[in-house]
Amino acid sequence: MTTPIYEVLIIGAGHAGCEAALAAARMGARTALVTMERQAVARMSCNPSIGGIAKSHIVCELDALGGEMGRNTDYTGIQFRTLNTRKGPAVQAFRVQCDKDAYSRRMLAVIEATKNLDIIEALAAGLWIENGTLRGVITADGSKIAARAVILASGTFLRGVIHIGKKQFPGGRKGEAAADQLSASLIRLGFSLGRLKTGTPPRLHKDSIDWNKTEIQPGEEPPPFFSESAREGRRLFHVEQSRVMDPTSTPKNTMFHVEHCPSTLAPWPPGSDQMPCFLTHTTAETHQIIRDNLGLSAMYGGSISGTGVRYCPSIEDKIVKFSERDSHHVFLEPEGRSSQEIYPNGTSNSLPEDVQVAMIRSIPGLERAVFTNLAYAIEYDFSDPTQLTHTLESKNIENFYCAGQINGTTGYEEAAGQGFVAGVNAVLKLRGLDPFVLGRGDAYIGVLIDDLVTKGTSEPYRMFTSRAEHRLILRQDNAVFRMLPFARRIGVLAESSLARTERMHCQIEAELKRLASTSVGGQSLAALLRRTEIHYSDLPSRLDFDTQVVDQIEVMTKYEGYITREQLQIEKARLLETQSIPSWIDYDQISTLRFECREKMKRIRPESLGQATRISGVTPADISILAVIIKRGPIARQS
Amino acid sequence: MNPDTDTIAAVATAPGESAIAIIRVSGPASLPIADRIFSCEGTPASQRASNSFVHGRILSKDGVADEVILLIYRAPHSYTREDSIEIQGHGGSIATKRILRSVLDAGARPAEPGEFTKRAFLSGRIDLLQAEAVLDLIRARSDRAATAALEQLSGRLSDSFGKAYDEIISTAADLEATLDFSEDELPPTLLNGVVRRLQQGEQHLQDLLDTWDEGHLLREGALVVISGKPNVGKSTLLNALLGIDRAIVTPMPGTTRDTIEELLVIDGLSVRLVDTAGLRDTDCEIEGEGIRRTRSALEKADLVLYLIDGSQTLDPVDIEQIKTIPPEKSVILVNKSDLPKKANTPSMTDRSVIFISLRSGDDIPFVKRIISEKISTHCMAQPHAVISERHRTLVLSTLKEVSEASRLLQNDPPETALAASSLRASLEILGEATGRVYHDELLNNIFSRFCIGK
Repeated sequence: MTTPIYEVLIIGAGHAGCEAALAAARMGARTALVTMERQAVARMSCNPSIGGIAKSHIVCELDALGGEMGRNTDYTGIQFRTLNTRKGPAVQAFRVQCDKDAYSRRMLAVIEATKNLDIIEALAAGLWIENGTLRGVITADGSKIAARAVILASGTFLRGVIHIGKKQFPGGRKGEAAADQLSASLIRLGFSLGRLKTGTPPRLHKDSIDWNKTEIQPGEEPPPFFSESAREGRRLFHVEQSRVMDPTSTPKNTMFHVEHCPSTLAPWPPGSDQMPCFLTHTTAETHQIIRDNLGLSAMYGGSISGTGVRYCPSIEDKIVKFSERDSHHVFLEPEGRSSQEIYPNGTSNSLPEDVQVAMIRSIPGLERAVFTNLAYAIEYDFSDPTQLTHTLESKNIENFYCAGQINGTTGYEEAAGQGFVAGVNAVLKLRGLDPFVLGRGDAYIGVLIDDLVTKGTSEPYRMFTSRAEHRLILRQDNAVFRMLPFARRIGVLAESSLARTERMHCQIEAELKRLASTSVGGQSLAALLRRTEIHYSDLPSRLDFDTQVVDQIEVMTKYEGYITREQLQIEKARLLETQSIPSWIDYDQISTLRFECREKMKRIRPESLGQATRISGVTPADISILAVIIKRGPIARQS
Repeated sequence: MNPDTDTIAAVATAPGESAIAIIRVSGPASLPIADRIFSCEGTPASQRASNSFVHGRILSKDGVADEVILLIYRAPHSYTREDSIEIQGHGGSIATKRILRSVLDAGARPAEPGEFTKRAFLSGRIDLLQAEAVLDLIRARSDRAATAALEQLSGRLSDSFGKAYDEIISTAADLEATLDFSEDELPPTLLNGVVRRLQQGEQHLQDLLDTWDEGHLLREGALVVISGKPNVGKSTLLNALLGIDRAIVTPMPGTTRDTIEELLVIDGLSVRLVDTAGLRDTDCEIEGEGIRRTRSALEKADLVLYLIDGSQTLDPVDIEQIKTIPPEKSVILVNKSDLPKKANTPSMTDRSVIFISLRSGDDIPFVKRIISEKISTHCMAQPHAVISERHRTLVLSTLKEVSEASRLLQNDPPETALAASSLRASLEILGEATGRVYHDELLNNIFSRFCIGK
C-alpha cells in the first residue's frame, strides 16, 4: 500500500467538506479531502451568495472559531449588504454576493496552501470497515484509502436524480455524476436514509436582459465584512489612504489608488468595486403559464417523492400556495465579475424547458432572456441526523462523521458550520481530548446541531433566528466574544486574533463597570446610555475605543435587562444539559416510562436530560423518572 | 422549568374540612420568602434556629392572610433535606389559598405532583428501596393530574386558554416573520394593528383572571342568602351572625319587606349576607316587590341558608322552595330545635340539614363554620372558579409578558426583537397550562402563512 494512513479523511469538497478538512489540517492532523473533481471545490451550486438572516450569524461564528467561509466570502464578494438594520442588533445580518468562480478558486488555493492537507481526486464508493472497525474508504475503482476517521460530506450526491419537467437523469449537480454506491454502503451498515428535494433557478445570459425595466439594488458602503481578516485589511487600507493623500491635490485626486497585486487569495481589495443586483417581478401572465402547466412540473406532476423546502419554495409552490398574490419578486444576481451568467433568484422550478422559457420571458426585462442553464429540481438521499451525536459522529460506527446536506440541511452556511464541528471533533477524539460541543445558548451552530441530532428533520433544514431560544444573546456582533473560549481551546485561530479579542473583551468589561459606577448629575453613565437617543459618543465622560468595543458597550448597556433574563434562562437550562444520561440506562427496564417515550429514547439516545426534554412527545414526568433512575444509579436494581 | 433548584410550595393537607391546613415550602429561597410574608414578634424567621416554631401572621397584598404557626427547618434537617418552612394555618380552602398565594407571590412556584417526595428521594432522604414507589408516584400522580387537567381544559377554561394562546401565537408569528425575512418578502401590512391585537390579548387574559379567579369571592364576597317562609327566624339569624340588631325582628310574619344586605367576615372570607323577605303569596304590593327581589337574590346566591321552623310540621311549600335550589348550594337550617320537634326531613337526604336553636346564640359559631366550609368546598368547585392557583400564576405571568411586548412595540422605533422575546416567554408559560409546545408551532405558523424565499 503506497498511500499513507490519514488521520482524517473527508468525502466531498463542498462547503462542509472544505471547512472540515481545513479545521482538521490546521489542528495538525494528517488530512485527505476526497473529491470527484478538484476544480469543483467549494462550488456554489445554487445562488452565488453567502449570509442572510441567521445564516450570517453562523458565518460570523465560524470566522471567530477559525473557519474559512467568512474570509473566503469577504475576499471574493462583489456586493455587500446589511439586512434588518432597523430591527435591533440581535437580528442584523450580512448578505454578500460572491464571484462564484473566484470563490471556488480561492478556497482551492487555501486548501492547497494548507499543510497536512491532500486533495485526492476519486469517487468514494463505500466505507472500509474491518471487524466492525472503520479503516478508511473504498473508492469506485476498488482501491482503499486508509484513515482513522472519516467525515461524509457528500451533499446532494447520494443517489441524486435531476428533474426537468418529465425528464429525469441521475446526477449530484448539473453536469456531475451522482454517487450511488455510497448510499448502498450506508444502508448495508444499517443507516436509515430518507429522500429530500431542492431546486435551483435557470441561469440567464446577462446581455439578453433589458436592465432598464428593472430596479437597481446597489451594495452598501462601507462594505460589512464577516471576517476579522477583511476588517483588519480595510483598516490598513484606510491608514494607507490617509498617508497617500496629498494636501495640495485637487479634489478629484481624492480618488486614490492603492497598490494591490491581484492573487487568487485576494483577487481584489476586499469590498472594492461592488456590483449591483437588480429587481424585477413576476406578472399575471407568469402565474397563468405556471398554472396551465402545473401537471408538467416534476414536483407537481408527482415525479418527485422527496420532501421539499417550505421556506425557499419553488415558483410553482408560491403560485399554488399563495394564489392571492398577483406578483412575486425576482432578484437578478450576477454570478461574478467576468461571468456572463445571471441568477434569477425566486424562479426555482422543475418545469419542462419550453414552459420555463415562456414563464421567464413573461417577466419584465426578461422578454428576450437567453438561457445558459435550465432550472432543475434535484432529489437526493439524506441520512437521518438523529443517528449522530452532538459531535456529528455516528452512534453506530466509531470515528465516522456526517456533515452538511447529507444530514438534511439546506444552505452553504449550515453545511460549513457542521463541517467545522465534525472536522474539529474527529481530531479531538483521535487525540483522546474532550469533544467540542456548542450549546443552544452558545451559538447558532449549537442550535443547528442540537435540532438535527435531537429532532431530526423531515424537510431540508434551514436556520432562522426563530429557532434560537436565546436570540438576544446570540448576535453576530458578539460572535467573536461568544466563541473566544472555544476558539482558544480548539487552537485553529491565530494567537494574535485571540489576543486581540481578549483585549477588547477586557476593555468592554472594565468600561461597563465604570459606566455603572460613575455618576453624572445624579444618574449613572450606564443609566444615561440606556436612553434610546443617547450613544456612547454622547456621554460626558468616555474613553477612546475601537468601534467594535463601542458597539458592544452600547448593545450590552441598552439591552441589559433582556440579556440578563436570557442568561438566567441559559443557566437554568445548563443544569439539565450537564446531567448526562449514563450508558447503563436500559430504557426497556424502566416500566414506569410510557411506551412512546421508551421507543423515542431508544432511537435518539439523548446524551443529556436537557436534550431529552427537547425530543417531541417527551413529558416532564418522563424526565423526572429518568432523573430519579440516574440518581439511583445502576447498582440498586440488583438489590 | 427547572426541577431541582426552584423553591416550591404546595398545600400539604388534604382539601376539604379540617381544623388546620399546612402549606409546605421547600428550596433555597424558603427562608427569604418567610421573611417577606411572615410577621412575628422579635427575631425574623430567617434568623431563627432550625426545628423551631413561631407564632405570627402571614401578610398578603390585601392585608393579613391568616394567623399561623411557622415551622423552620434548615437543610439538611427537613423532609427534602433543603431549607424548608411549613405554615400551619386555619383549615378551609380560602384561608389556605390566601397563604399559598402569598408564598407564590413572594417567589416560590407551585410544586408539581409528587415533587416533595421526589426531592426527598434525590437528596437521599428516602431509602433507595423506595425508588420504585417514587417512580410510580410520579407517573401515577402526573397522569391523574393530567387527566384532571384535561377534564378541566376541555371546558370553558380550555377554550379561553386556547383562544388567548392562538391570539398571541399569531401575533408572535408575525413578529418573528418580520425578524427572519426581509420586507420585500412579506406583506407590507403585516404589523398593522399589532399593538391593538396584543391589547385584545391582554384584555382576554385579564377577563380570564377576573372571571375565574376566586378573587371575585375575595374582593366582592360570597353571596349568602337567608331564605325561608315568613317568621321562621331569618332576621334573628342575620342579627346573630352580625352580632348586632340590624334587622327588625317581630313575631309578625312579613316584617322584612326588602332584602337587607350586610358584609361580614368569616374565617378570612368576606361574605355578603342577605336577609330576604319571607316567601309567601301576598296581596301587599310592597311585600310582593320584596319577594321578587328575594327570588333574584336566590338565583345569584353562592349559598342559600334555608330556614325551617322545626317546631312546625314541614310545609310542602318549603319542600318545593328547597327543590329550586341546587343541593350543593344549600344548607337547610332547622331552627327552634329547642322546641318539640315536628318537622320531618328525610326527603332532603341530598342536602346538608343542620338542627339549631337561634334562641341562645350558642349555635352561631357552628353556623359560621358551616357557611365557611360550604363556600370553600362548593363555590370554589363551580365552573367559574375552576382556575387553580397554578393557572392563576401562569395567566398572571403571561399577562405581564404580553403587556411588556405591547409596550415595546409602541416605542419609537419599535423594539421588535425584544417584543418577540416577551411573546415567546408568554407562549412558553401558556403552553405549560395547555400542554402545547410553542416552539414548533411558532415555526409552523410562520411558514404556513408567508411566502418566503430569498
